[in-house]
Amino acid sequence: MKYYKVLIIPILLIAMLSISCERDDICPDATPTTPRLIIDLLDAINPDTKKNVFDLVVIGVDNDDFLPDYIFQDTDDLILPLRTDDNTTEYILIKEASVNDNGTPNDNTDDFVDGNQDRITLNYSREEVFVSRACGFKTIFKNVTLTIVQDGDNWMLSREPLTDNQSVEDETTTHFNISH
Amino acid sequence: MLFFCVFVNAQNDSILSTANDSTKIKLKYGLRVGGDIGKLIRTSLDDDYSGFEIMADYRIKEKMYVAGEIGFEEKNTINDYLNITTKGSYIKGGVDFNMYENWLNMDNMIYVGFRVGASTFSHDLNSFQVYSIDQYWVPQLTSNTKQELTGLTAFWGEIILGMKAEILNNLYLGLNLQLKISASQTIPDNFDNVYIPGFGKTYDSSGIGTGYSYFLAYRIPLYKKDK
Repeated sequence: MKYYKVLIIPILLIAMLSISCERDDICPDATPTTPRLIIDLLDAINPDTKKNVFDLVVIGVDNDDFLPDYIFQDTDDLILPLRTDDNTTEYILIKEASVNDNGTPNDNTDDFVDGNQDRITLNYSREEVFVSRACGFKTIFKNVTLTIVQDGDNWMLSREPLTDNQSVEDETTTHFNISH
Repeated sequence: MLFFCVFVNAQNDSILSTANDSTKIKLKYGLRVGGDIGKLIRTSLDDDYSGFEIMADYRIKEKMYVAGEIGFEEKNTINDYLNITTKGSYIKGGVDFNMYENWLNMDNMIYVGFRVGASTFSHDLNSFQVYSIDQYWVPQLTSNTKQELTGLTAFWGEIILGMKAEILNNLYLGLNLQLKISASQTIPDNFDNVYIPGFGKTYDSSGIGTGYSYFLAYRIPLYKKDK
């Protein structure tokens, strides 16, 4: 029996240590880290109400992949990640998109997305803010400007920041409105 | 824990021998000085750690010792997002109370100690990578510009539970566990003290720190006094 007592204490100590280590060394999902840009899509005729865009496809300029949340998605808001290694992020947003098979239905390597493409440019300055040991640093974005690149056939009609010198420091509120 | 068994066995042996009440037992008084061999072993085994500590205590009453430690530590804190080197030195001072009832001329200790500790230290933020849950744009910004955060201090209180066993005449082997409670610290701008020399790793959720030491000490005998 004496040996059990001798063994129990170090086992308890190790268990306690490992529990406390894990809790502190993994960044919890609930911790606010690098925020994304939140845009509400408003009705151009009735600017107080949100309006859906149908079959929206979003792709970042210089990125090979579609933004996973917006692949033929009906939505009245947008949540866009900003680049933490550059002061500019550009997106192409395609409204009422459809897949054009380029005349070859069996070959999907030459398929492309049809629809009204609009391009937006986001410029900002960055600041790295310490969060915690497990999460390290997050980036917050200051003086964010959103420009709709004019192409003569824009489905986005106007954009408006929610405040002057709009910054993106968290994901609790909308940062920009776009009417269409 | 092994020491505990030794103590228990020793105590049982002593019961068998008859204590002679007519002879007075002399207690040795002196300065006990030692080094932390646990930290030396860790320094040689762990690439991300180096440190050493010198400890001393001096008996002022039969069961009471004034005690202190002085040491330095260098520790790398590395994860996917941060690479930090913390270095600095510390000093601790306080008292130890022996709770162990020694038989005859034995001079072992199972003790409770109290300390106040102070540390001066610095962090080198060697590199970091920005944390983002969204991984659409990869990689996230990585900074390899070394940033030095110097002139930091911390103060804490400490409770120690430990034991010291006389393995040869005046030579002691000991170990202890330390529980530390942070009192104050300078928190660098836009950063945090992930490690404090002498205090150990810090936790986001509380001001509690833990530590241990494993040491070898020699008592320089100065005088003897009746028990």
